[in-house]
Amino acid sequence: MKAVLQLEHVKKQFGDFTAVDDLSLSVPAGGVFGFLGGNGAGKTTSLRMALDIIRPTSGRIEVLGAPPSRERAAEIGFLPEERGLYRLMSVLNTVIYFGRLKGMEAGAARKASIALIERMGLADRADTPVSKLSKGLAQKVQLATALVNSPKLVLLDEPFSGLDPVNQGVLEDLILALAHDGSTVIFSTHVMQHAERLCDRLVLLARGRKVFEGTQDEARAALPGRLTLTCRTDPVALPGVASTTPVGSAVEGWARFEVTMKPGADAGDLLEACTAQSFALRAFDIHRPALHEVFIHLVGADQEIVR
Amino acid sequence: MRAVLLVAERELRQILATRGFRVILLSFPLLIAGTLFASAHFAPPTGAAFTLVDASGRYSALIERRLELDHQRDVLHDLAAYVARWKLAFVDPSAVWAQPDAWPADAKVARFIAAGGGAAAMRQLLPHLPEGAPAFKPPSKDHIEIAPPAEVPIDQGADAFGRAIATPMQTDVETPDGKRPFTAAVYIPKDFGAPGVVARIWTNGGSTDDLIQTVRQQLTAALRHGALEADGLSSEAADRVETLSAPILVSEPAPSAARGVVVTRSIVPLALVYLLMIASIIIGQMMLQGVIEERSNKLLESFLACIRPSDLMYGKLLGLGAVGLIVVGAWVGCAVGAAFSSQGAIPDMLRLSLQAVDKPWIIAAMIFYFLSGYLILSMLYLVIGSLSDSMQDAQQYQMPVVMLIMLPTIVVIKASLTSPDAVIVQVLSWIPLYTPFAMLARLGTGVPLTEMLGTGALLIAFIAVELLLLGRVFQARLLSAGQPANLAAFAKLMFQPAN
Repeated sequence: MKAVLQLEHVKKQFGDFTAVDDLSLSVPAGGVFGFLGGNGAGKTTSLRMALDIIRPTSGRIEVLGAPPSRERAAEIGFLPEERGLYRLMSVLNTVIYFGRLKGMEAGAARKASIALIERMGLADRADTPVSKLSKGLAQKVQLATALVNSPKLVLLDEPFSGLDPVNQGVLEDLILALAHDGSTVIFSTHVMQHAERLCDRLVLLARGRKVFEGTQDEARAALPGRLTLTCRTDPVALPGVASTTPVGSAVEGWARFEVTMKPGADAGDLLEACTAQSFALRAFDIHRPALHEVFIHLVGADQEIVR
Repeated sequence: MRAVLLVAERELRQILATRGFRVILLSFPLLIAGTLFASAHFAPPTGAAFTLVDASGRYSALIERRLELDHQRDVLHDLAAYVARWKLAFVDPSAVWAQPDAWPADAKVARFIAAGGGAAAMRQLLPHLPEGAPAFKPPSKDHIEIAPPAEVPIDQGADAFGRAIATPMQTDVETPDGKRPFTAAVYIPKDFGAPGVVARIWTNGGSTDDLIQTVRQQLTAALRHGALEADGLSSEAADRVETLSAPILVSEPAPSAARGVVVTRSIVPLALVYLLMIASIIIGQMMLQGVIEERSNKLLESFLACIRPSDLMYGKLLGLGAVGLIVVGAWVGCAVGAAFSSQGAIPDMLRLSLQAVDKPWIIAAMIFYFLSGYLILSMLYLVIGSLSDSMQDAQQYQMPVVMLIMLPTIVVIKASLTSPDAVIVQVLSWIPLYTPFAMLARLGTGVPLTEMLGTGALLIAFIAVELLLLGRVFQARLLSAGQPANLAAFAKLMFQPAN
């Protein structure tokens, strides 16, 4: 699958500070890709480099098959983390203006803007100055400025910050709809729940370096498997089991054990072994690790992230 | 270029929609209208009253004749300007008022009086006045003679006269032209001319220099006349000697005439210096607010994903430059309109100045210096905006910059009027930051063409370097918060290519 964004050994230094260090990644076309990491992980710097807002100190970047350039603005939508709009401009004129900055002709920009603000439930506010909008509505307008050109690639930097839970849900739906319609959405976040619900693939960053890139399942596989078994005897001797911990006291001979698998061991193989060895089982619960746990496991607990 | 124009258009639209812009746009026309209205309806009357007591009976007629002659000279001068303005010389090309003369000689004034003066001329001109031309209004007399107040004794000597006249001179008095300040009283003793006998003049402290001068000249002439007669010259011969006057015709240079230098003989370039200062300060404020709004509203990252920082910078310069030119254009338009549609000393002066600017290349030079100055200052304001997170921050940079530019400019304006060849004027003309101000200020009094071309070339080079270096600062500062720590940090931004 062709990559819409490719970074090869990219490094960005600001004076003595290294914001991004030897970062390589590839974002395939289509779907939703997450840039995950705590504050200062290098997410925003990476996105800015992809947009040619800043240049890398070294390394190579390709966006939609070409080096980063404003010439590609017509195919890209960008929502920055720090958001703002001209307070005196109307909603419609704001969206049209950004459409035109991205190379759209006046008529096309107007038509697309009207359709978009209607789709986003802003039609009745088309002529309202931005200063008269609530924060949530203003953020919708900002998102509309990113999407007015029907971009192939949408870059959203911390798109959920500052939104209430209802609008977070609306934005999640919109991101999924964009991906469904064929756009590639890349978004950065330090809130793992959003990534869990949205991302097909993700990259985990810590202190400017990549610590993981792949699918969610691949990320979870990086963690030793954990299960809860209800059985009559300690399952520690079963194949693939690294350790067990009894939970509570046995009831009518049945006890609960938290089981940690050996690295690479599969829960399905364990179940098969139980059956083959006639190991008495009453419950076999596979514990699916949260991305947060994966992150902590890979990066350490000192990074500022939100579950 | 497309992005530059889009940014410029947005800047222009936003400013045009603000109430502040409308206030700025209307302030100058309202000021002009107010000034014209006030000068037409509330201007204090000119002229002052004086009284003349000639106990000898020999000198008052001479003084009164001279005052009348001088007044009629003013009338003739103004009438000639009126005739030139409304192109009425064809009515009687041989009339004295049809021939421009900055300082009509006595003989010419005498002919004017003999022909019936201003009233007769107007009767002649009236049938030929173009539509909209107002009737000629002669200037009022500078010195209006009144009879001594009744309570003032005129036959008890100068001291008694002086003591008595002091009180009436403290108030305005009725004259044939209305109430006027009573500024002077002249007493010529009976035996004036005898050794030790002096003529006395009392004033109320007002401006009476030219009246005193006239009295002195006429009394001196009369004494000389008497001395010549005493030496055996006939009265007629003494008259001839006394009234001998070198024939001089004073001609003013033709508008924009060159004397080997560029001279516009106009106050228009100088007016543009003031306009440049005012416009750049006003528009500079708008520029600061615009950049600071974008920085504080966190708008810039969205922009920079679509357009280059240089597009944003040039778009702002172009848009806000257009705002400035609209303001200046409207102001100049109002001034021109007022000059050509109203009467009075100020419109007359403006009209003459505008007529003097009649060469396309002089207009081009003025526009070049004006726009260059505007661009230099706009760029400075843009960078101040990019260095500031708030208007309070901006003020700490703005004040020194404004002082740095304005103080030498004020010096140059003053010096260019009094001593255009002064070293300070020459030096500042070659410092690009001051070149637009200095050269505009000097255009009215004359600038060598070579100097104009040299400073122009230097100015263009300076603007190119300014745009490059300050442009780097602007671009580097777009996504930064806080201010550079010191001058070294600022210099580093200038000389470090944008990343």
